[in-house]
Amino acid sequence: MKVMVCLKQVPHQDARLDVAADGSWIQEDNIKFEINSYDTYALEEALRAKDAGEAEVVVVSIGPDRVTQALRTALGMGADRAVHVKDPEADASDSLGKAKILAAIAKQEEPDVIYCGLMADDGNFSAIPPMLAELAGMPSATGVISSEASDTSITVRRELEGGCREVVELPRPCLLAIQTGANQVRYASLKGIMQAKKKPVDVKTAADLGVGEQVGAGAAKVKINKIYIPPKSDQAELLEGSTDEIVTQLVGKIRELGVL
Amino acid sequence: MGNILIVAEITNTGAIREASYELVSIARKLADASGRDIKSVVIGSGVGDLAAEFASKGGGDTLMADDAALSDYNVDGFSRAISAAREAADADLVLISNTPAGWDVAPRVAAGLDAAYISDCFNIELEDGNLVFYRRVFNGKLDAQLSAEGVVVVTVQPGATEAYEGSSDGGTSALAVGLDGLRTKFVAVEQAEATGVDLSKADVIVAGGRGLGSPEKFEEVMKPLAEVLGGAMGASRPVVDAGWLEHAYQVGSSGQVVSPKLYIAAGISGAIQHLVGMKASNFIVAINKDPDAPIFEVADVGVVGDLFEILPPLTAALTEAKG
Repeated sequence: MKVMVCLKQVPHQDARLDVAADGSWIQEDNIKFEINSYDTYALEEALRAKDAGEAEVVVVSIGPDRVTQALRTALGMGADRAVHVKDPEADASDSLGKAKILAAIAKQEEPDVIYCGLMADDGNFSAIPPMLAELAGMPSATGVISSEASDTSITVRRELEGGCREVVELPRPCLLAIQTGANQVRYASLKGIMQAKKKPVDVKTAADLGVGEQVGAGAAKVKINKIYIPPKSDQAELLEGSTDEIVTQLVGKIRELGVL
Repeated sequence: MGNILIVAEITNTGAIREASYELVSIARKLADASGRDIKSVVIGSGVGDLAAEFASKGGGDTLMADDAALSDYNVDGFSRAISAAREAADADLVLISNTPAGWDVAPRVAAGLDAAYISDCFNIELEDGNLVFYRRVFNGKLDAQLSAEGVVVVTVQPGATEAYEGSSDGGTSALAVGLDGLRTKFVAVEQAEATGVDLSKADVIVAGGRGLGSPEKFEEVMKPLAEVLGGAMGASRPVVDAGWLEHAYQVGSSGQVVSPKLYIAAGISGAIQHLVGMKASNFIVAINKDPDAPIFEVADVGVVGDLFEILPPLTAALTEAKG
């Protein structure tokens, strides 16, 4: 069995976000990056499938040089090999273009299961996993918080609203988009990190994958015109002063509410 | 130019979802300004009455994808129904609510059409004759304005706009959808497990986020504050994901929706899914190091600072004030 995991490297959750000069994305120089939180849970699901049987885990990421670090981390956690799509045109693609690139890799790799994170912490699009499944001709389920595999199918629980869950059965091959909290994500062991250095990372461009014409900024159907700090309409009354002064003001507010 | 297709959603209890009427509000605004017609589709089994209701309350001419195989949500079946409806309606703008069903099916529909997909919009406007889409990025820290080419499939954030309350004189008609060979199989919906934690009845909720740093800090800092106020503890999603507290404590769209007299949010930045669960609270106090944290948008009173410096003295002062 083979499983494929799609990883995105995103700005660290605590990174300072400044809008770039052209206004269309954030300033990415000199900030820390990490594996998208949702994708760490997807990777963990894949590694558990590996632990449970004989699965090869292939991690795939689209992005510039820095993405190597994310792939090495994944290899250190137990993935077997990596495919790095390093191509500025791929980076400039919209969700559909990136899904086409990943679908081309899925066609080559023929995985039994593709694990993705439900969404990315940067764009919050939650677009690529179902798009990739559609293009790869696979059924899909999103917001997955647990899964049980049988010989030919997987039964998953999807998180709905208010703590409800939907149980869905999918035949393999299929794609699962994992919700955060689905599992406890492991850390890379020192031994794992050492071994990761010897594991293969295959570097490709969109053209190598035969989809060069279909991706890139020119082929994008969705364009981000600008990003900006949300207008502050109903900003809270901000309390200022020393800690003592702030505490006194808070006690006054709480007393007025009659909850003491 | 094409028309607008609204995909209405049916709730577990068999009613048209409120969010579907919010799509109508957006569609009406855009249709009036751009000369597009509005068509709708209702997907399910035995949906005649619901389709008639939707057609008369703003949905306009409404297609019925009515089949026993569509009685429960199924991504394969629903994606085929939406694609067939889009074609029948000659739509270049497809509006779907960003619900667990909506975000599951909408990207598949877009990819099947080789079309643009934009998720979780809080607003869509017509500017200089072009549709522009507004949505949040970076978990609510920044907003983005986008545009799209050709057919565009959009999901809209529930609650972002008022539900349409007018009427329309649309008719209903059956939509043929090929439903052979569906791969995904609906098994069941499981209701939320009953737990001892019912935040909906608490007058005071003291909620902590990732900023607490560890489960021990919840015990040390949050619990005494909750106790002195006679309130309950709550948590944001990352806290529950990390296993610091059980899911029963989670406030937000996938946890509990609360409206206490006092909600104290400490170390919570305010991702949309958390705000949805607590913004109806009577009085909100937010404490966060980041002055740009979205939580301050819904708070009545905010403190930009370190929760570990503020909360212990606050607990002490409240204990003293109680006497």
